[in-house]
Amino acid sequence: MEVLSLEREDDIVRLVLARSDKPVNVLDAAFMEQLEAQLAILEKQPPRVLVIESAMPGCFIAGADLDIIAAVTDANEAQRLAERGQSLCRRIEDLPSVSVALVNGACMGGGLELALACDHIIAVRSGKTQLALPEIRIGIHPGFGGCVRLPRRVGWIKAVEMIMSGRAVDADRAFKMRLATLACHPEQSETAILHAVHLGKIRRRGVRPGWLRLWPARQLFFAQARKKTFERFKHLQIEDCYPALPATLALLQEIVGLRDGQAYAREAESLGRLAATPTCKNLIRVFHLGQALSKQEAVKRGKQAAAAVAHTAVYGAGIMGSGIAWVATKTGEVDLHDVSEEALGRGLKGIKRFARRDGKRMRRIRPVLDGSGLARSDVVIEAVLEDMKVKHQLWTEVEKAVRPDALLLTNTSSLSVSEMQKHATHPERMAGLHFFNPAPKMPLVEVVAGDKTAAPVLDTVAALAAAWGKYPVIVADRPGFLVNRCLMPYMAAALSLLQRGQKAQHIDGALKTFGMPMGAIELADRVGLDICQHVGSHLSEAFGGHFALPDWFGRMVENGLLGEKSGRGFFTYDHGKATGLNPELPQYLRGMDTSERESEADIGSKAGSSMADDAIVHACLLPMLIEALACLRESVVAAADQLDAALVFGIGFPPFRGGLLHYYAGLPRDELRNLISSQGLELPSNLDAVDG
Amino acid sequence: MAGKGGTVSRQTARKQDNVSREIVVVGGVRTPMGKFGGYFAQLTAVDLAAMAIRELMARTPVSIEQLDAVIIGNVIQPADATNIARVIALTSGVPRRVPAHTVHRNCASGMQALTDAAEKILAGRAEVVLAGGVESMTHAPLLFHDDFRVALSRLQRAKGIGAKAEALTGLMRAHWKPRVSLLEGLTDPTVNLNMGQTAEVLAREFAITRREQDEFSLASHQRADAAWNEGWFDEEVAHAFPEPSYVPVHRDEGIRAGQTMEALSKLKPVFEKPPLGTVTPGNSSQITDGAAMLLLTHRQKAEAEGWPILGYLYDWQYTGCDPARMGLGPVYASHQLLSRRRIGMRQMDRVEINEAFATQVLACLKAMESKSFSERALGGGAPMGAPDPERLNVHGGAVAMGHPVGMTGARLVLTLLRQLKRDTGGGFGLATLCIGGGQGGAVLVGGEPWKS
Repeated sequence: MEVLSLEREDDIVRLVLARSDKPVNVLDAAFMEQLEAQLAILEKQPPRVLVIESAMPGCFIAGADLDIIAAVTDANEAQRLAERGQSLCRRIEDLPSVSVALVNGACMGGGLELALACDHIIAVRSGKTQLALPEIRIGIHPGFGGCVRLPRRVGWIKAVEMIMSGRAVDADRAFKMRLATLACHPEQSETAILHAVHLGKIRRRGVRPGWLRLWPARQLFFAQARKKTFERFKHLQIEDCYPALPATLALLQEIVGLRDGQAYAREAESLGRLAATPTCKNLIRVFHLGQALSKQEAVKRGKQAAAAVAHTAVYGAGIMGSGIAWVATKTGEVDLHDVSEEALGRGLKGIKRFARRDGKRMRRIRPVLDGSGLARSDVVIEAVLEDMKVKHQLWTEVEKAVRPDALLLTNTSSLSVSEMQKHATHPERMAGLHFFNPAPKMPLVEVVAGDKTAAPVLDTVAALAAAWGKYPVIVADRPGFLVNRCLMPYMAAALSLLQRGQKAQHIDGALKTFGMPMGAIELADRVGLDICQHVGSHLSEAFGGHFALPDWFGRMVENGLLGEKSGRGFFTYDHGKATGLNPELPQYLRGMDTSERESEADIGSKAGSSMADDAIVHACLLPMLIEALACLRESVVAAADQLDAALVFGIGFPPFRGGLLHYYAGLPRDELRNLISSQGLELPSNLDAVDG
Repeated sequence: MAGKGGTVSRQTARKQDNVSREIVVVGGVRTPMGKFGGYFAQLTAVDLAAMAIRELMARTPVSIEQLDAVIIGNVIQPADATNIARVIALTSGVPRRVPAHTVHRNCASGMQALTDAAEKILAGRAEVVLAGGVESMTHAPLLFHDDFRVALSRLQRAKGIGAKAEALTGLMRAHWKPRVSLLEGLTDPTVNLNMGQTAEVLAREFAITRREQDEFSLASHQRADAAWNEGWFDEEVAHAFPEPSYVPVHRDEGIRAGQTMEALSKLKPVFEKPPLGTVTPGNSSQITDGAAMLLLTHRQKAEAEGWPILGYLYDWQYTGCDPARMGLGPVYASHQLLSRRRIGMRQMDRVEINEAFATQVLACLKAMESKSFSERALGGGAPMGAPDPERLNVHGGAVAMGHPVGMTGARLVLTLLRQLKRDTGGGFGLATLCIGGGQGGAVLVGGEPWKS
């Protein structure tokens, strides 16, 4: 299988990358072997000019083969892989030819490192041209010499930013930051190459900016970089959870003062260690989970129909509706409907922060008070009050005005799509599209087919979600769908711990240290205690008592302690920021489990002993696991992998742990069984499903 | 017309078709009018017009693909939106193949857009035209003085330290004080009077007292306030959510609900100093931002497509008059128009005379009633007569609501057609404006097809 070929034209040699076994060029074993072979030929008779270009549209080199990294079992193996890649790049750099990388399309990771080994990069302006070093996002860092070569080209400040964020730059930005020698249009490629050749071989040396050579300045700079990077993860043990972050900064700081040979050696060694970590494997796994969702069959089937959606109508300008309206502006115009102009004003103000980098996108949203414009809507999404009567009325009105082929989607989190279809004139075009809060940020959407939803409609909805940059998971029309149903036992368990005397901050702290983006108690506040109550009772009706929330919870709701939206819940809030435990809380918890409290008072301790962190985590997560396995048994979702993906992308289950089921699959099975029993939970019949 | 048989009959048919076309308005909407530096301080004229067009195209059964042309009136003509009509059209999603151009007849630019659209349709050169007017007076630019521009360009061309130093000194000595384009735009260079000063001329010549002007202004505020309170403007005006705060706005910002004669009397005259000046900011139109957009076509097309007809544009007229007395423009234009159509002022069911200044409207009313004026200026004959005060500006006018100069002409036609539809059940309407530079514009509209 040929993946690259040489073409000679007088004294210019073109190394053309193209393959038919994969949709993109990747640095896999075949590529490395063939490149080594071709380099041997070139080294014998070096041409005046070497041009490396890709014949695959939209792609230069998409990166290294992730599966190879994922398959690595020990640090030495990974280190050798890195050394092999570094050697390839060095051989290109050492050729006496003027080397030019013509980058048209995605140039990521190892692909960019290969391009950096050339004297010149020419970036071709196109929607697909993106240059990035995204290795940090899968728990490693560049290992083919990128950590050494990039800073020489763009300076240390930009290099550290690019490597630590993994963010991509387009052709023009690459030129501005001197990553590319030139940015050109496709028709100008040949002229650009000639220009680069004219500039000749360029040896980039030295440290830019110069002041970084001074040790104190270097310390300050990297201390600042560390502070900025670790800010988001203050609650985690970052060395264990995301080891690549501190390791990469340490490596970069070291490399500033090192000579080439030592620098490359350190890079390879550091990569070796990181590639063998469980975090790396798990992040690659999560990446694949997301890709699998974006590229599932339903999305492929519905792609054409989804591309024809030019206009969306969203009903309800609350937090969810406004967020959904913003998401929909990705591909077209949006009408945001509501009955109240204050609500519309608040809704628009709320999504303003997403428009910071993209002011024009806000103009695509038209606020509507009079229900006009439905005739041109291709899709209608409702995010109004969770009340079936209200929704029926809305759909009745909407169906009168929309085209017969318009899709009708509901963002309901607790009502049944099939039930909604009962009163519809064209139920086959109705489906559920459930977003997560905040809609512009959370990548997951649950796609729900009602009894009467036509199969092509489901495909179109999944494809539309993918076009909007989301990961669609198809789930069954059962109460709570997938994610909320799994979330309820988790939250109920946390509340029960609270009732048994554990402190709210301790419970949430333990969960955040585990890696959850926020604790279960704070989550209840953010979602709204009234909504939790509503979902809890709804799920109880459907599935039984284990979803019921305690009585004192209901009393809190009655007394207006609704969480963030009312300023007080378990914690108090000021403009969205949590400002401490709500002093009224003890009066609700008092009087519960008095017998337990009396016995604790006998021992003489003030509030009962604090549970260990991992005991708290298991107490909360195991009920979630049990419920997840129940969902699998009932075919709410098709596969364990999709379930893991849903929890990572929907509620932020820590990606570095690979997923809920994956995490527990990593424990010895007996230990898992014991843990479950010790919580007083029933052993699920499909426990082995955690293996995927 | 002799010639080949087929050609003749086609030509004749075409001519008949053109003559028989009746211009209709099938939709229209306007933005709220925001005060100078008020609601719409952060929105440009392009933004305002795009807002109105988006609302209009969402409400109407006419598809944006069916537009043949876009014509928009605008006075300031911002430097960063050359041919603002085109910029607006592209921003609003009008297909690229639809041509667009901008028109300017000072305060009647919005009216000019409508009558140009009508003429295009009559000539058979278009079927459906999006026409209207927009102005952001808040965004009227500050300009550098001419000698500053010359000095700056000298500095740019100077070579060598000596020459640069000399050019720099020249620059420092040039006029640094910015020219306020808003004030310059409202001044007529041919007679060296600003609009307010021309109103003072009329106040003098027609003996209109300060008190009369204030009373007229109070009525404007009270009428506008009442109309808004009963929801009369709800459909005409779109709800806006202007950046950066997205706070919803609907009511025209300039209306003072509790306006009183005392408050008005406290204001000082600005165009001619006291004690002899009478025109104050309280009895003048307000400096405002806003947009009004309408869809014009001909009756046959509207009926074939099933589009709702808001009303008919029968005829229009622009005339020139003395720039120093530009406020009388409406008299000349209306007189010519009504005479041509052989129809009297008494037959008008509703009239809108733009309230550029209270005194200017009052002067027009006096002139219309005056026999000597008729003999002196209108070619003799009986005086044309003033409109019945109960039919004139019944829902308030520019004194209360504002006068975004490029928009008003279009707004008056829209509101007049709605009055005929909602209030009088049809009949005749006359919209007329005075125009800086000494012109008058008038449009005759109606609720039904014309019956001679």
